[in-house]
Amino acid sequence: MNAPLLEVDDLRVTYRVGRRRVEAVKGVSFSVARGHCLGVVGESGSGKSSLARAVLALEDGVAGRVRFAGQDVAALDRAGLLAFRRRAQMVFQDPLGSLNPRLQVGAALAEVLRVHKLADSRAAAAEQTASWLETVGLDPAYARRYPHELSGGQRQRVNLARALCVGAEFLIADEPVSALDVSVQAQILNLLKSLQETRGITWLLIGHDLAVMRHMADEVIVLKAGEVVERGPAADVLAHPSHPYARELLAAAPNVARALDRRASGPRSLGLMEPPPAVQDRPPR
Amino acid sequence: MKPTDSSGRVKAGAEAVLTATGLGVGFFPAAGRRLEVVAGVDLRLCAGRTTALVGESGCGKSVTAAALGGLLPRGMAQDEGEIRWADGAARGPGRGLAYVFQDPGECLDPVFTVGNQIRETLPPEDRGRVRERLEELLRTVGFAEPARVAESYPHQLSGGMQQRAMLAMALAGRPRVLVADEPTTALDVTVQAKILRLLADLQRRENLAVLLITHNLGVVAELADDLHVMYAGRIVESGPVELLRAPRHPYVQGLLKALPRLDGAGEKLEGIPGAVPPLGRRPAGCRFHPRCPLARETCREREPDLRAGADGRAVACWARAEGGWA
Repeated sequence: MNAPLLEVDDLRVTYRVGRRRVEAVKGVSFSVARGHCLGVVGESGSGKSSLARAVLALEDGVAGRVRFAGQDVAALDRAGLLAFRRRAQMVFQDPLGSLNPRLQVGAALAEVLRVHKLADSRAAAAEQTASWLETVGLDPAYARRYPHELSGGQRQRVNLARALCVGAEFLIADEPVSALDVSVQAQILNLLKSLQETRGITWLLIGHDLAVMRHMADEVIVLKAGEVVERGPAADVLAHPSHPYARELLAAAPNVARALDRRASGPRSLGLMEPPPAVQDRPPR
Repeated sequence: MKPTDSSGRVKAGAEAVLTATGLGVGFFPAAGRRLEVVAGVDLRLCAGRTTALVGESGCGKSVTAAALGGLLPRGMAQDEGEIRWADGAARGPGRGLAYVFQDPGECLDPVFTVGNQIRETLPPEDRGRVRERLEELLRTVGFAEPARVAESYPHQLSGGMQQRAMLAMALAGRPRVLVADEPTTALDVTVQAKILRLLADLQRRENLAVLLITHNLGVVAELADDLHVMYAGRIVESGPVELLRAPRHPYVQGLLKALPRLDGAGEKLEGIPGAVPPLGRRPAGCRFHPRCPLARETCREREPDLRAGADGRAVACWARAEGGWA
């Protein structure tokens, strides 16, 4: 039996744009079992990132309930919130943009340890830093490098180390590999998966690459305009989506084998989805 | 070394509009020696065909494309090989060749309307019929209400609409060659699909030679006729796009194995160990040898040429060469 680590119930996120109110997340509910990976699929504007920020209590204008390890996050006091932020961390898409360019990797990790009072001396911080770098597959010598001296994959490893070093058990990864080259993407995906297996990390993985989702996620929810339009085990949802939008996403994803097969069967037919009806985009008035 | 013809099949009747032979680009730092960026690239761009240039970042795809139009950034120069238009004409930088890039929002000027910006790129022969031509271009790229789009500022358009506006601008000069550099990478998949369709459609209607630059093998399989895979500045495998079913170069095989698959979850991705070497740190011998599962002594010492086989496919790999070990 596996109790959910995260339970989200009827979550709503509303932004004020001038006088208007825009609901970015419209009553989303889900739960993630400990050690599982929930994939959140959707295109830009579907509310994925608002959802992520709301779950981590980083967003104002949130209604609904987020329970983490059985506790209502909204009801946490200052100390409770700090503890929650240790256990629940975020990893972003742009690994360079999320690192301080003027801090060496080791200093960046040590700062996090200091803020969370997890290392009482410089030596202790250095020791912990070295061990976390090894955990994410980096030589501890990288502690002396600046972010710009690292490759994209190495930077993303540093970001993972930074999230893990405070004792995170739940990670939200917002498009963690979409800025990386294919060969490096595979290395990072393998790392994410091994962290899930060896350390029991629970993931909320946000993205639009359905093959990545199929590879990583146990369950998937498909978001469209702030609402969940489909949910289920990743294998089912991504093999036989039932909602038209989920089907459209699947049909639109370029795929090597499928494209070559379809092209072999017809002259120059594009394998991608059926031709769209006459373009209906309209610029604003 | 005689450069092998690296073009894939050329259909009967398909004429090369632009050819590059033995193209090499160097980077000249303010102090220090020339660093090789691109070396020995042969390309044949044919009317009505899409040629894809594939590889990870730092492999020289975009630099190759910039060299074709004479648009290399400062500090870089094409100092090897030659670029020739089939009609023999010499063209100034950017002439006959148009580009669309990854991020249309950054390419468009935020303070001018889309119409203004397209108008600016119209060639002299269209000066007398600016309105008609503008409308025609916007319709060509799929806008049902060209007038309204022309009056819009870039921020009022979605990413897909911005990319279509960029395409209209690219077509304004009636190019023979369209270079599409990661044209859909910044877009959502459903929008990407529409733009890819539009590209295929435009190519057919305008009989364009398209050079598609991307790291997305799925996009390549959808759109390209011919394929060149670059690694660390050189073409390592080329041929018709179908080569993706059974690539020969270990790098290309690795790229395909690194892709997660929609049909099978769970198992470990193979990936390719290490990363593309940065400029100035490219290894001796075969550039791929430090990451290659097939590498042997020869690979560390000598660089393999791109050799064409009887089937029109070419590969630069000692292990796959005649008398090789794989």
